[in-house]
Amino acid sequence: MTTFFTVMVLGLLLGGIYGLVSIGLNLIFGVIRIVNFAHGETLMLAMYATYFGYAWAGIDPYLAIIIVAPLMFVFGVLVQRLLMQPLMADPIMQIFASFGLMIFLQNIVLLMTDGQPFGLPPIGISTVDLLGLNVSFARLVALVAVTLIAIGLHVFLHHTMSGKAIRAVTQDKRAAAAMGINVDRIYLMAFGLGCAVTGVAGCLLTPVYTLSPTIGSDFMVAAFAVVVLGGLGSIWGAYIGGLAVGIVEVLAGFYIDPSLRRAIWFLIFIAVLVARPAGLMGTVGAEEVGFREQH
Amino acid sequence: MSSTSAVARQLPRPGAAGKRAPLESPATVYLTYLAAMALTLAPMLILSQDDYWTNIITLAYLFGGLATAWNIIGGFGGQFSAAHGVFFSVGAYFTARFYLDEGISPWITMPIGGVLAAGIAVLISWPTFRLRGPFFAIATMAFNEVAMVLANYAKSVTGGPQGILVPFRPGLVNMIFRQSWQYGALMFSFLALTVLVSIFVRRSRLGFYLLAVREDEDAARAAGVNVLAVKIWGMAISALLTGMGGTLFTMFIRFIDPPTLFSLPEVGIKFALIALIGGIGTIYGPLLGAALVVPLENYIRAVLGGLWPGAHLVVLGALLMLTALFLKRGVVGTFAGARQRRRAGRT
Repeated sequence: MTTFFTVMVLGLLLGGIYGLVSIGLNLIFGVIRIVNFAHGETLMLAMYATYFGYAWAGIDPYLAIIIVAPLMFVFGVLVQRLLMQPLMADPIMQIFASFGLMIFLQNIVLLMTDGQPFGLPPIGISTVDLLGLNVSFARLVALVAVTLIAIGLHVFLHHTMSGKAIRAVTQDKRAAAAMGINVDRIYLMAFGLGCAVTGVAGCLLTPVYTLSPTIGSDFMVAAFAVVVLGGLGSIWGAYIGGLAVGIVEVLAGFYIDPSLRRAIWFLIFIAVLVARPAGLMGTVGAEEVGFREQH
Repeated sequence: MSSTSAVARQLPRPGAAGKRAPLESPATVYLTYLAAMALTLAPMLILSQDDYWTNIITLAYLFGGLATAWNIIGGFGGQFSAAHGVFFSVGAYFTARFYLDEGISPWITMPIGGVLAAGIAVLISWPTFRLRGPFFAIATMAFNEVAMVLANYAKSVTGGPQGILVPFRPGLVNMIFRQSWQYGALMFSFLALTVLVSIFVRRSRLGFYLLAVREDEDAARAAGVNVLAVKIWGMAISALLTGMGGTLFTMFIRFIDPPTLFSLPEVGIKFALIALIGGIGTIYGPLLGAALVVPLENYIRAVLGGLWPGAHLVVLGALLMLTALFLKRGVVGTFAGARQRRRAGRT
């Protein structure tokens, strides 16, 4: 029983990390339906920014959020404006373009860091006692943060004018434009916001992981899986999907085989995708919204 | 001239322009094919004394063939598959395993590995082809990930993370050669085969169905096309050729391991991006794409690789973004489109 409890807690903590890297993507892919394969690189850049902020200026990783998040917002706006917006009519070209961006950024960073891995030295509290269990402080922070971000985004999307405008644009661009919504600006804002949230994730995860140029893409397929699994556009779906994936991964690693754990939940993901493309918590048919051709 | 631009504006999507023209006569098609193949072979004949260039040309032939194979489902059928690294690896591991354990000639395992890859493609496609556009791309990418985990896990088959090293035992039966031009000839034959298959498919009923599915899946279904069967056939043919390419890669490089085989930028999606740069959905686009991308990449790697590892991928990434933004129809598609517009302007 205690083993099971330990495994569940570890799974929950890992799930928090998956949720954290997926929640920004959910805004970009889930809500505004832009296929951005370079999303992992947003995370990667944010992590490097956080690391160098600490290494050069001694900025605490958690404090770095106030610099990194706006920085990533600007980055997202630029990507959307220069790369994605011209290709809005052609999702396949968006896949190509964002994949190009992914290769480009990864290797630029590889080139500049010479392939050296970076890791923050242990700073502050490293572990805390949770019901008799020693858990990583940074992972606990990530879990708490993703919960707060999910609540915040839910409130934003459902109870503010801007959030409602974002959802309106997703449902019907033309009708939204007719209501006086500046469609292009909404896209820019949502994309930037998705990147800013990912920037926050990057800051929070820098103490957890050793940095390498591919750290973002290691998370990318997982993040897409979480978003689809949870249900496109459903903030709670991505949150719960992330936690579920973390728990499944740790359970499979513990009870089946550690080297197979990723394969197992990917297979579950594919099964869900096929059986219910709308995801666990998405509205049926939601996967078609925004990808249908609009005339 | 105003009527010309009106025609251009009416085109539903890039790539559709050429499809309205009546089918070219077989004589034109196959003469074009022979001329294109002669032109493709020329660089190797000229540079056959130069091992460095022969190696690059050999790789370009191989990747040209693989991109042509991807183009059958990705270009004609419009289905962005990221799972082609899986089919490629099936052929690669199948050949390596039977060659090392049983001493079976790669010439025998190549077609069998191809058929096996096609079978796996059908199994993967059956469920995933219910998904459209980006969902299909993500699902196939997940398959690539699963396959990589399995390849790392199944050590008895794949050698696990250590990979498989094929010993150097030259001989025609072993598909291992002393002279680099011999590999060149091998890869050229593969390329010539894939382009021929691509032409056959494009001119067949299946080819037209694939185009119909790409342009408008619902309309194709309404017109009586069995959309799922068409996609699965396209995928199977594409995977068969890709699996055969996996065999050739194994015997050429003589070392395979999961990070090489399942790398998306170096293998799985590379086929797609070569096809895109050359001209997605055209017969000779993937070939031209390989002729541009592979030498460029190797040149950059040779010049800058020592100093800046990954420099060639920086360039490739930039090239990919620029192509998607400004040259959606690739080099071939853009030129063909311009020619067609000129013709339309005359009449």
